[in-house]
Amino acid sequence: MDEAKLKKILENIEAPAPDENARKTAVNLAVAEFKSLENQRKNTPQGNSIWARLTNKTTQTRSNPMQQKSKQRLMYGGMATAMAVILIVGITTQQTMVNTVGHDAMQAAKLKKITFETDGDAAAIAMDSLAEATEESSPAYVASIQESNEAETTASAAPTSMAAPVGRLTANQAKVSRSFAGAGADASRMMMVESMPYAPPPHVVPLPEPINPYYQEEGRDKFQDFKPSPVKLVADEPVSTFSIDVDTASYSLVRRELNNGIIPNPDAVRIEELVNYFDYNYPLPETREQPFKPTVTVTDSPWSKDKKLVHIGIKGFDVQTDSKPHSNLVFLVDVSGSMNSPDKLPLVKSSLKMLLDTLQPNDTVALTVYAGSAGTVLEPTKVSDKQTILNAIDNLNAGGSTAGAAGIEEAYRLAEKHFDKEGVNRVFIATDGDFNVGVSSDEDLKTIIEKKRESGIFLSVLGFGLGNLNDSLMQTLAQNGNGTAAYIDTINEARKVLVEEASSTLFPIAKDVKIQVEFNPELVQEYRLIGYETRALNREDFNNDKIDAGDIGAGHTVTAIYEITPAGVKGSVDPSRYAAKKEAVKPGSEFSNELGFLKMRYKLPHENESKLISTPIPVDAGAPNADITWATAVAGFGQLLKGDTHIGNFTYDDVIKMANEAKGADEFGQRAEFINLVRNAKVAAGK
Amino acid sequence: MTKNEDRELIKRARSGDATAFEALANTYYETMFKMAYKFCGNRQDAEDITQDSCIRLARGLHTFKGDSAFTSWLYRLVINTAKDWYKSNNRHPKSDEGLETAQISAQGDDQLYAKQVIAAVYELPDGERDALLLVMSEGLSHKEAGQILGCKESTISWRIHEARKKLGALFEKEQKYG
Repeated sequence: MDEAKLKKILENIEAPAPDENARKTAVNLAVAEFKSLENQRKNTPQGNSIWARLTNKTTQTRSNPMQQKSKQRLMYGGMATAMAVILIVGITTQQTMVNTVGHDAMQAAKLKKITFETDGDAAAIAMDSLAEATEESSPAYVASIQESNEAETTASAAPTSMAAPVGRLTANQAKVSRSFAGAGADASRMMMVESMPYAPPPHVVPLPEPINPYYQEEGRDKFQDFKPSPVKLVADEPVSTFSIDVDTASYSLVRRELNNGIIPNPDAVRIEELVNYFDYNYPLPETREQPFKPTVTVTDSPWSKDKKLVHIGIKGFDVQTDSKPHSNLVFLVDVSGSMNSPDKLPLVKSSLKMLLDTLQPNDTVALTVYAGSAGTVLEPTKVSDKQTILNAIDNLNAGGSTAGAAGIEEAYRLAEKHFDKEGVNRVFIATDGDFNVGVSSDEDLKTIIEKKRESGIFLSVLGFGLGNLNDSLMQTLAQNGNGTAAYIDTINEARKVLVEEASSTLFPIAKDVKIQVEFNPELVQEYRLIGYETRALNREDFNNDKIDAGDIGAGHTVTAIYEITPAGVKGSVDPSRYAAKKEAVKPGSEFSNELGFLKMRYKLPHENESKLISTPIPVDAGAPNADITWATAVAGFGQLLKGDTHIGNFTYDDVIKMANEAKGADEFGQRAEFINLVRNAKVAAGK
Repeated sequence: MTKNEDRELIKRARSGDATAFEALANTYYETMFKMAYKFCGNRQDAEDITQDSCIRLARGLHTFKGDSAFTSWLYRLVINTAKDWYKSNNRHPKSDEGLETAQISAQGDDQLYAKQVIAAVYELPDGERDALLLVMSEGLSHKEAGQILGCKESTISWRIHEARKKLGALFEKEQKYG
């Protein structure tokens, strides 16, 4: 083909101007990352050893030249210092293992091991820095390096673990040992190597077969089905009771489906979770005695003439960094065959590493896995020993069936073992929710979890992947185990849940939070709670402290919206012909200015007796603001997705219009993303 | 912005100045977006890749030692991000004709022809496409392209040769007889 012509065509590809919003989002995210890395750097001691020296050798290719070069330099360095260098080059058909043992005259020196984050580039750096160290001839170390050059496999095994920070090499100067994510060495073997007092000539361990290409299940997601809450007559049922819900799993699920151009299963849409995905600026309580305070606002309903919306907003106080309690965390990771896809196990690994970065050095972390059977990969380890934890995470591999129940038992056992009465005790389950060995029905697992709840250990369920996701099981676990559930579909979502909201994810400030609203029949004839269908409670449950309900973490916001029909206008339900007319409360009575009465019960995290907050709801409570409009838009969107019949002629366009008005500063682009989702939904629904 | 100002920004950002980093990211966002766009041919992917690249820039800026031009270093970063991104999304770059076609300055038939060529370029094996775009579209030398893609100069030449051969087989005949 004519070169000049081709060149001309290619030169003329012009990229369109970048989108301003996309730019803002990207730059904000990057700056946030930059700052968090900067903080980390400040907290790590300066002056790294030569073992951990950073080099600019990242530009090397991932193939053979790297190995050859290091080999040469090792040999050269060895001669320069009159060291005996033994090179063992083992070549197998699948991979090359280079094992180098360097001896020094002063063998009395202690054995040193370095543990590296494994990554193609990092491997290159590690080899190089080691070679240089040898060249400079100072150390009196016996080093044992196991090197396998499976850069490609490694990269594909952990595609989402973005560019391993080279800075990690700085940690743990006193330990040098090496293992690979792709190599699949199990952690117990790794720990065995580490605890050996003296390094024997390293033996070549055959690597397991590379992981099979992942398979993707389709259409086996399970959701609990439920009906939108109906309109209720105040005359029949003046009191509405429900448990709060701070989960956001439903939003991520909905986003994922809509981004694929599919209208999500209505049962996957939990409106309260969509609304609570966003952060709202509700006023905080004045004192810390009370963990949160309700803010009530009454506005006109955008989708029904004459009706009104009552917003109840709660924001919990935030825990200051210096007063954060000690955390005792257990990660329970599903490594069954179904987790073998890029958006599952590799994303779990990256997510756990992110979470690890938010912890204090004194906190402890343990890691259990379950597949065909359950086992502990890492006994509780202090976060200050970060490399050990990172290695254990990197060594996770997927395969086999799923004995989830056994895994849960094991995780709680570990958490109990290091239970800290003053601190935060929490089990994180990372799973696609598919339990198929042992106890596997939702009901039976619920029983197990309910028993465990008594022990004071909190639970976070992190859902991954789609196609085989058991959303209903995840909800069961979270709702019955003093827990929360989140669905993680991208690395950004992991950041939101585990880093930005780390304090609310980790530190509960109140548990079993229940809300009860009694409406005043004088002013309200009907009401309808938007969302919270799966969280409804009986009227008598409110005062019963044995009944479990949702928990609030530090800084969490919760919003609940009622739609009410004021007395005197035409309602959705005809009045009863035969019911005796009750004597209406006289206008001007004590309550003539109250739409209703709001009561909330909660327990402090370590207490078992509930406290009560109550406040009347005045007719003109609060002033509408952008946050309220935003919450209303999201609630409207949720109802549209569910095909709710109560919203009249409200359309996706109305949602977009309202959302655009209320978007505000939108620092991380979450609200802009929402507006995009509404557009996707509009296209997918063909409206 | 002049080279010197950029250099100063990079220096300050590397020493941990978040404001400098923000300014740097803002300055180079467009460059990165355009690079990403060329490599994937549609806006959606390009935005995602650029976002990832920005985060990687935050993580990796300290590895930039100033021994190559910042833009070539950035190229490498964006290209590697794009590769990983496609790998993790299990997809392949595709010029998106329907939604957002690359703007082409030629007219009429030429324009249609150019579109077809570009679409074909995106169907090439990754290595060949990358080499072709860097050299033909960005006007880099084979050597520079080699440094960015992490391979030898001769590999680049060979890949471009291969790519042209394939494109030739697709388009030459049509041109002659059609």
